Amino acid sequence: MKQTRSFTRRSALLAGTAALALVGASSAQAQEALRFGMAMPLSGGQATYGQDQVKAAEWAVAEINQKGGVNGKKLEMIVLDTRADPQAGIQAANRLISVEKVPAFVSAWSAVVKAIAPVANDNKVVQLSVGANSADIAKLGDYTYTTFPLADVDITAVARYAATQMGKKKAAVIYINNETGTVAAQIYRDVFTKAGGQVVAYEAYDPKASDWTGPLLKVRAAQPDMIHIQGLVADTPQVIAQMRQLGLTQPVSSYSAVYNPKLIEQLGKAAEGVIATSLAPGVTDSPAVAAYVERWKKEVGREPNGLPYTQYLYDAPYIVAAVYKSMDDKKLPMTGENFRKEMLAMRSFDLPLTGKLTINDDHTVNKPVYLMEVKDGKWTQKAVVN
Amino acid sequence: MLTFDTIAQVLWTSLATSSYLVLFAVAFALVLKVNQIFNFAQAAVMTIAFYSAHAVVSMAGQPGVLGFLAALGSAMLAAAILEIFGFRSLRRRRASQMFVFIFTLIVSELVAYLAMLIFGTWPTTIFPSLFWPVSLVGNVAVSAWDVPALGAMLGSLALLFVFLRYSQPGRFMIAVADNPDLAELYGIEKNRIYLYAMLIAGLLIGVGMFLYGSRAQVQATTSIELMLFAIAATIIGGIGNVWGAALTAIVLGVVQNGSVLFIPSEWQGFLLYVFLFLAIVFFPNGVKLPERKRGLARKVASVDLGEGAAAAKPATAGEG
Repeated sequence: MKQTRSFTRRSALLAGTAALALVGASSAQAQEALRFGMAMPLSGGQATYGQDQVKAAEWAVAEINQKGGVNGKKLEMIVLDTRADPQAGIQAANRLISVEKVPAFVSAWSAVVKAIAPVANDNKVVQLSVGANSADIAKLGDYTYTTFPLADVDITAVARYAATQMGKKKAAVIYINNETGTVAAQIYRDVFTKAGGQVVAYEAYDPKASDWTGPLLKVRAAQPDMIHIQGLVADTPQVIAQMRQLGLTQPVSSYSAVYNPKLIEQLGKAAEGVIATSLAPGVTDSPAVAAYVERWKKEVGREPNGLPYTQYLYDAPYIVAAVYKSMDDKKLPMTGENFRKEMLAMRSFDLPLTGKLTINDDHTVNKPVYLMEVKDGKWTQKAVVN
Repeated sequence: MLTFDTIAQVLWTSLATSSYLVLFAVAFALVLKVNQIFNFAQAAVMTIAFYSAHAVVSMAGQPGVLGFLAALGSAMLAAAILEIFGFRSLRRRRASQMFVFIFTLIVSELVAYLAMLIFGTWPTTIFPSLFWPVSLVGNVAVSAWDVPALGAMLGSLALLFVFLRYSQPGRFMIAVADNPDLAELYGIEKNRIYLYAMLIAGLLIGVGMFLYGSRAQVQATTSIELMLFAIAATIIGGIGNVWGAALTAIVLGVVQNGSVLFIPSEWQGFLLYVFLFLAIVFFPNGVKLPERKRGLARKVASVDLGEGAAAAKPATAGEG
């Protein structure tokens, strides 16, 4: 009997201690932050872009937390430097997975995303690629997804638009002879031909070229009624300038790399009629984007480097927060496997700066392409291709 | 395709764009000839010249003339610093040529990295506009940049020729290039001559980079890429042969551009490496001109070291 009483007293004591421990634990859990990773270049040659992109993501995290976080839990972003270098990217991913134990992390730059993918797959942690646009990103395994449209999306849109909406029959393609240029030029040629047009000149140029007379004279001889340039931000304005100097007055199309105010400044009247693509709405399309750019000017004193990319980075924490909320609602453990499962179950996200995002089964995303044209010395929206 | 107009256009534009390439090649060849240094750090001097002009014109809104002076001044200053604090100190320590070459590589990368940190990675120009108005001469488009660029290049080369041929420091420079120890025995101060060579190279680089940056966009690593052309022209033109490097730079530019009319354009860049490969394997001392013409070249570039140096071996433009 004594033994029983003693047992009962001890049991009560244990139960009380356990209850207290449980209360303590649940209170700590309420305070526990939901963490995700961000592996971006904060030093090295790409740091000017990486730092601005991280800043955009930090603003988004602060706003999410200001509005109450994720079901009352604080969202926390752990930022590591990749220097846009694959090896440094792998080190950052390993730390995020093994030390910080995050179920998901954001990364960018095609070479880094590709290098990290096996690490993400092996550890079943989701890598969200935000900004890398190599077509290979869609083929990196079950745990790498992109929230950014891959290379073929805008080139397909601009080629099809030229053939079907602008009624162009003969196009010339001039492209930089590297992986980005050759793949995109092929996409343009295939889509334009399939849409009923004919590619009458298809000319590459050396990435180190500083003069394009030869290829441009070949283009001139072919007498196209549309010219597509697939170059880099450093050489495309010069190609257009030289093209105009050689008397080529045809409409020119290119892609998102040339969509910046500098092109108009550099080319003046020669920029008139140039068509570029944008994968995110601009300040004239969205009040939220206008306010965002204003905030940059006010707080940083300038527009962000690579504005559309920073818009996608700003939206990334909103995707993570939405998936975490769904996992939290269902009381699922915060693992990479559950994150992936919930993200694919949700599939569509309404995002503040880039609009609706739909993640497809083939690891690509659907986003509208904004065709912008230089008119009267300003970039104006020509069409939105869905 | 191969009409007279097309060929004339390719020739003219290639000639105009070779203006800065010639200056880079001559600057490189001069330092190699006089200072005996494979100066890859020329890329650093080029970067400094460009960003100085960019800072003055594009950022501070000053006139182009000031930008030009900034390019010249900064390039000469950078070249002098490189010589006084870099090469001179390495010479004092009897550093091997390989070590000096590695030093120049490090300097070029260091300056490129610094430029990236200061000016960012976005390509920039000296003037806000890249577009130069065009006039038609026959059916050949001649831009407002072409003629001044060619004039600047020819003027710089003419001044260099006069300096080397007629000025005392110029003649001393060739003497040092030919035999530094012998020149020193005749009272020529080697270190001062090395500094002169670097300063002249800086001047040529300043002019060249101003021309390049007023026509094309530049990033911190652009100069390193441009260096390959200067090195190729120097090797093919004959190491140490300053005028050979200049001529080769023009020929290479024309051949590279004109080749597009005969071969697929993606092979254009490959051509430079083919020439470089052939030159190193089959013409390690450069492509020599026929003997009769070389005699003429020797006559033009022979050195008069004055009374005291009459016994010194005369240097030739063709010797390295």
